[in-house]
Amino acid sequence: MCNLPVILIPDFCTMKNQVKPDYTEMKRLLGLTIFTIFSVCGYSQNQAVDSLKEVFDRLEGKINALDERVLVNEADLGKLNKIKVSGYVQAQWENYGKDLVKTNDPANNFYIRRARVKFMYEPLDGIKFVIQPDFSTGSLSLKDAYAVVNIPKLKNFTLWAGQFNRPDYEVEYSSNQREVLERSRIIRAIYPGEREIGVKLEYIGSKIPLKFQLMAMNGNFTGTQAKDYDSKKDLMGRLVYSIKLPDAGLGIDLGANGYFGGNRIKYNTFVSNLEGKLDSTSFTAGDYLDKNWAGGEIQIFADILGGMAFKGEYVAGVNSASSSTNQDSKAKLADMRRDPIKLRNFSGYYIYLIKNIGPKNQFVAKYDYYDPNTKLSGDAAKNELFYKTFTLAWQYYLNDNIRLSFNYELPKNETNSTNTKDLKDNTLGVRIQAKF
Amino acid sequence: MKNTKSIFIVPAVAIILIASSFVEQSKITVKGSDTMVILAQKWAELYMKQNPATSVQITGGGSGVGITALINGTTDIANSSRPMKQTEIEKLKARYNTLGVQIPCAKDGITIFLNEANKVQELTLKQLSDIYQGKIKNWKEIGGNDAEIRMYGRENSSGTYTYFHDEVVKADYATSVQSLPGTAAVVNAVKKDVNGIGYGGAAYAVGIKHARVKKDANSPAVLPTAETIRKGEYPITRYLYMYMRTRPTGETKKYIDWILSQEGQMVVTDVGYFPYK
Repeated sequence: MCNLPVILIPDFCTMKNQVKPDYTEMKRLLGLTIFTIFSVCGYSQNQAVDSLKEVFDRLEGKINALDERVLVNEADLGKLNKIKVSGYVQAQWENYGKDLVKTNDPANNFYIRRARVKFMYEPLDGIKFVIQPDFSTGSLSLKDAYAVVNIPKLKNFTLWAGQFNRPDYEVEYSSNQREVLERSRIIRAIYPGEREIGVKLEYIGSKIPLKFQLMAMNGNFTGTQAKDYDSKKDLMGRLVYSIKLPDAGLGIDLGANGYFGGNRIKYNTFVSNLEGKLDSTSFTAGDYLDKNWAGGEIQIFADILGGMAFKGEYVAGVNSASSSTNQDSKAKLADMRRDPIKLRNFSGYYIYLIKNIGPKNQFVAKYDYYDPNTKLSGDAAKNELFYKTFTLAWQYYLNDNIRLSFNYELPKNETNSTNTKDLKDNTLGVRIQAKF
Repeated sequence: MKNTKSIFIVPAVAIILIASSFVEQSKITVKGSDTMVILAQKWAELYMKQNPATSVQITGGGSGVGITALINGTTDIANSSRPMKQTEIEKLKARYNTLGVQIPCAKDGITIFLNEANKVQELTLKQLSDIYQGKIKNWKEIGGNDAEIRMYGRENSSGTYTYFHDEVVKADYATSVQSLPGTAAVVNAVKKDVNGIGYGGAAYAVGIKHARVKKDANSPAVLPTAETIRKGEYPITRYLYMYMRTRPTGETKKYIDWILSQEGQMVVTDVGYFPYK
């Protein structure tokens, strides 16, 4: 809009009877008037366009500046999006059977079972870095520290390097998902600390429902130390095939696993052989003692009035360990001078029955068996007794983050003249787990 | 049996807790695929009109977001434009002891968006793969102008992203692919960019042109039309799915049955997708 200046126009009606009008002069005047109107209007319009342009330029500058800031923020956020932090805390109360309580010790206890934070950085698709410390009361330990890379050209293959879980079903089944408070006795014995240091090749089929894992590792991880004591690396493999029957609401995973390793006799040539006899002639320093076993596993998932699962695994083989422990081969095994090294046949299994009741409740019954020395029994077994453990548990999921677990464990041990009766070692555990 | 008194604590507390978990619901929550969000909203609107006592709440976010919500228990149904991944099934198994229930509810073609000014008319699957891997960088390599190819795609939470990755690219995406939040944003970007290329569901493709796609160099070039997608002639055809943790019951089952009925499938056609069978 432009404001027109006031222009005097002659009144031709009133002029009619007075003086004869000068038309040439009038035409000139009219022309001048029109020129003036357009000139003034045009000037004014130019002025408005100029000022609008200024406003636009100013606004454009502001938008560009904002745009740049958004881009910078987006880039920063993009970097942050590549870092994922998760974790969980398990606060627990336990009540122990009287044979587990030493004189003047408490029969029950509150404690923090696990407090873990997992950091995962994914700089590019197909590359992951993971680190997970555990902050249990009074201790700080490294649980996971590894990198995973998708192998180029080999779709579905990944290469893992660092410290991570050994390839076994119950080992890899995270403690924040597990339906009972602790893993089975046999798994705790042969895979102490669950992790190992090494490299792993993993294939998870997208078209074929097959999972394959092959790991090379030191073979001496205990949770407190992880160094190898010999040059030979231990190997572990696992193969799982999944069958889906969607119409029946059924899924069956069938698998097999094997561990192939050894422990080198460093100094001590006194070996307690598989029969439990001391043998100082058959072995010399530098020999490798067997640490080989094989296992089979099955998991059945059924959609029957909500979810239900049956899971089981059986493992048997030969383990070599120091005589002072009836469990895993300790790393110091190869260094032991006083203790004879023991070779043992062992076997064990576990069975879970899990029933989901509605979206929030879960009932669990579990039975597990572990015999650390299958060739010896009774008095010959001494402290290498077999255990049968029955566990009843209930999970209540308050929401996605908080889970309440009630767990009652009833172990039954083998008896002999040293351990004449089944120990009173039942344990009631109540756990609150908060995860994010 | 030892400590027999304490063993009764577990079932006693369990009985109290279990009673609270059986609550009748008339609200159905649906979360997931952005590709399916318009379709899901239309279904919900029509269903709620016919069943005023039932409330169906729809949110998008991407297939991955929907499936995560299903695993976390924060949605009843997850919409997904790709099949569930094995890792996601493992999580369902761990939490609910089921493999999940997959229900194909519509068919869709992933269409290749080109700017209307682009000379290129057709592309093979191999060329598409090479473009999105960053191996083909210039339009002149595939019969277009001498100009750099600018790729637009979806974020990695999107089912379309995953499906296109698994079925077309079959390798890692080039880092130069610009990730955009939703197919509509991809269409919009290609509309404005003469040298742009994008991919997404057919229902969103307005104001751009579709490339004809060839399975290989010797196959015929096929445009994504109702006919070619329905018949499976168009090479990038996929199902759209609904996922549940367990087999549906009650109100959720009624809703699913309605979606799969002729009436529900008519909505599919109205929105621009294709009936599941």
